Amino acid sequence: MRGVFLTAFEQGFALVLAIAIGCVIILAIGESPIVAFATLLDGAFGDPQRIAGTLLQSTPILISGMAACIAFRSGLFNIGVEGQLYMGGFAAALVGFSLDLPWMLHLPLALAAAVVGGAAWIAIPAYFRARYNANEVVSTILLNYVAVLLTSYFTIFLFKRPGGWSETPQIFESAMLPTLFEFSRLNYGFFIGLLLAVGLHLYFTRTSSGFESATMGSNRRFAEYAGVDIRKKIVRMMLASGAIGGLAGGVETLGVHHRFMEGFAPGFGFDGVIAALLANANPLLTVIAALFFGTLRSGSLLLEVDTAMSREIITVIQALIILCVSAQIRIGRRGDATAGERRWKF
Amino acid sequence: MADSPYAIEMRGITKRFGRVVANRDISFAVRRGEIHALIGENGAGKTTLMNILFGLLQPDEGTVAVDGEPVHLRSPKDAIALGLGMVHQHFKLVPSLTAAENIFLGMEPLRAGLIDRDTAIAEVRAQSERFGLRVDPQAVVRHLSVGIEQRIEILKVLVRGARVIILDEPTAVLTPQERRELFGILRGFVADGMTVIFISHHLEEVMEVSDTTTVLRQGQTVDTRPTADLTKPELVQMMVGKQISFDRPARTGAAGAPVLEVSELWARDDRGLVAVRDASFTVCGQEIVGIAGVAGNGQTELAEALAGLRTPSHGTIRLNGVAVEGASPRTMRDTGLAHVPADRMSRGVDRDAPVRMNLLAGRHREAPWSRRGWLNGTAIADTARDLVRRFDIRTSGIDGPVRTLSGGNIQKTVVAREFSHTANLLLVDQPTRGVDIGAMSAIHEEILRRRAAGEAILLFSVQLDEILALSDRILVMFEGAIIGEVDPMATTEEEIGLLMAGVRPDGTASPARAGAA
Repeated sequence: MRGVFLTAFEQGFALVLAIAIGCVIILAIGESPIVAFATLLDGAFGDPQRIAGTLLQSTPILISGMAACIAFRSGLFNIGVEGQLYMGGFAAALVGFSLDLPWMLHLPLALAAAVVGGAAWIAIPAYFRARYNANEVVSTILLNYVAVLLTSYFTIFLFKRPGGWSETPQIFESAMLPTLFEFSRLNYGFFIGLLLAVGLHLYFTRTSSGFESATMGSNRRFAEYAGVDIRKKIVRMMLASGAIGGLAGGVETLGVHHRFMEGFAPGFGFDGVIAALLANANPLLTVIAALFFGTLRSGSLLLEVDTAMSREIITVIQALIILCVSAQIRIGRRGDATAGERRWKF
Repeated sequence: MADSPYAIEMRGITKRFGRVVANRDISFAVRRGEIHALIGENGAGKTTLMNILFGLLQPDEGTVAVDGEPVHLRSPKDAIALGLGMVHQHFKLVPSLTAAENIFLGMEPLRAGLIDRDTAIAEVRAQSERFGLRVDPQAVVRHLSVGIEQRIEILKVLVRGARVIILDEPTAVLTPQERRELFGILRGFVADGMTVIFISHHLEEVMEVSDTTTVLRQGQTVDTRPTADLTKPELVQMMVGKQISFDRPARTGAAGAPVLEVSELWARDDRGLVAVRDASFTVCGQEIVGIAGVAGNGQTELAEALAGLRTPSHGTIRLNGVAVEGASPRTMRDTGLAHVPADRMSRGVDRDAPVRMNLLAGRHREAPWSRRGWLNGTAIADTARDLVRRFDIRTSGIDGPVRTLSGGNIQKTVVAREFSHTANLLLVDQPTRGVDIGAMSAIHEEILRRRAAGEAILLFSVQLDEILALSDRILVMFEGAIIGEVDPMATTEEEIGLLMAGVRPDGTASPARAGAA
């Protein structure tokens, strides 16, 4: 447990530092940091509707974060969650609008399509990783762009809603994830994310298979020696990570937009990756990190309405956080001979 | 004050790490111009004391004086400025640079703002000739043997002006010949007025080379005495505080049925070069077969091939009658292999995982530790506690990460895990490297016990005395080939040393060497 607290403390320190630098920048553009952060908090938590909006923004980040946790904890680097999210989102929408089934079948089938879509997308880098030891960081990143453009192409040229924008027809009601409140689009997807976090925590700490995965992440040579089939495990964990990345997209289409739209989920996958990094790939801490990013996103909407500031300032603060956290990982790793091999401590 | 007879005087040194007292009121004085051995079990506080002397750690209490002058060493820089030099156990050289470049790394001589290679090379030549440290300044370190690498480390210290040289376990990786040469070099230093501090586990070496010996035990000084006044049993007594038997029980009865049969095995190293050439041998039940050889002559690759960690390029391996060449580590384990790997930190344990999981790894899918895929915490803790007790692993608890244990106790963790498997072939690679004498004795006892239980043991070690003490048969590896077999009862260190250097008993060089050229 000490490790968890240490992690939380270190990351907390990095956050404070990033926000402090953010304040300086806000001052530099002639605005008040106090007003900025007060508006931000008001926008995120000011009334029940805004709180629901914050949770709604957090949901895709949370599920994407779980996808990233699976990979990072196993010592793999799935930076392509964004792409898997797009593929999963599109696959879910496709099942949602092209089939007309009873609710009991339709929703699970659409969610399954999202999972399969994400897994299929990461299967390409996973294959090359296992077969040719190709670096998955590069291949997963590059496939993000392919996924975004490919789904755009499908949407515009194959499945475009007649007369509409760059979007598919609406999905049948039987495929929609039910909302939780009348006043918000917040839906059961949020609970899917929370369940995943608890499930992953149990998986990595309490199961034989999870022990193998975490050992592979912590010391691959030892895992190999202890009898883990590394190649098989790499493929499995990458597929699982991609599957959850796809689910993040599915939840977004089935729960929020009820169709697939071009650019429907700007940067959620990337935010999830960063949330998992911030939390050192601990699924429970990733929940907190995802909520934090959701808060920034949701609060920044009011920032734009109520002040002269652009919401890009939030992107700047987010970038500062990433910078401070990654710089800190370097410091924490100093003097460790294995630092080059393992980029994060779990 | 400069007329003090002591080059180094440490008085009343205490250093705590949390609740652990690593050094308790240690006094350690080294006369100028002597070879002073510092010995003690792992965890006795030798490394902590030397790190304090070298400025890497700050003592909580106590004083350090160099040449009679009290000093405050805040960093290795301060220590180097005062003429101290440390040769670490694990070399820190850049493989792609030449010897001279490594030696002058960070203090390159300059001419017109550019690195002056000629001066560097000339300086390395001068220093090597002065003390007989033969090194080619322009050789690239990657291609050099460990013995030469060590000389480069020593030269690094010399060109930085060291007059007091600290050597941490300098002989662990050397052949008998290289060791003898090192001792000659150290005597040369002393004759030149320099002072040598020599950290070791090996009693023979301490007796052979040192003038004075200081023994540490559990963070305290036991005694400092002239080495000539000490006997080996006395030293052991001082180190461990209890008498240890050096007698090895002979094997009762003959070797049993073949367990491991290796035939015409070839394997390549990570660079794709042939590392094991045409190895054929058999290991039977109730038999310890020792593989001797200078590190880097294919032992690693042979051990990995036998453990399922490296696919052989040719040949057969039969374990309990089953052909297993190229099988996975899991299959090897299921067929009857237990493996104590040479590289315990990167292969033998997950240093960040708790002791209990390190003790269990490999059986994490078997009942009762795993039930329907879920780990059974109670059964794991019970087994771990039992192993900690049986193998006398000194740990504050089974939940702490393995990296907090001392080197000897980490090795005992590996041995406990592997020796408690139901295996009948024990592949034991460097079982006591860097391990204190107490742990070494315990591990040796355990190996002998497993032989008595009828198991086959294949022992790899670069420590010849270990191979000689334990083996029933000894195979010598040179450049990937098994170039000879000797009977440990009838051989000498010299005979094995020559084989390790590739010279056959009849005086001819090994054909393997010709093939490798």
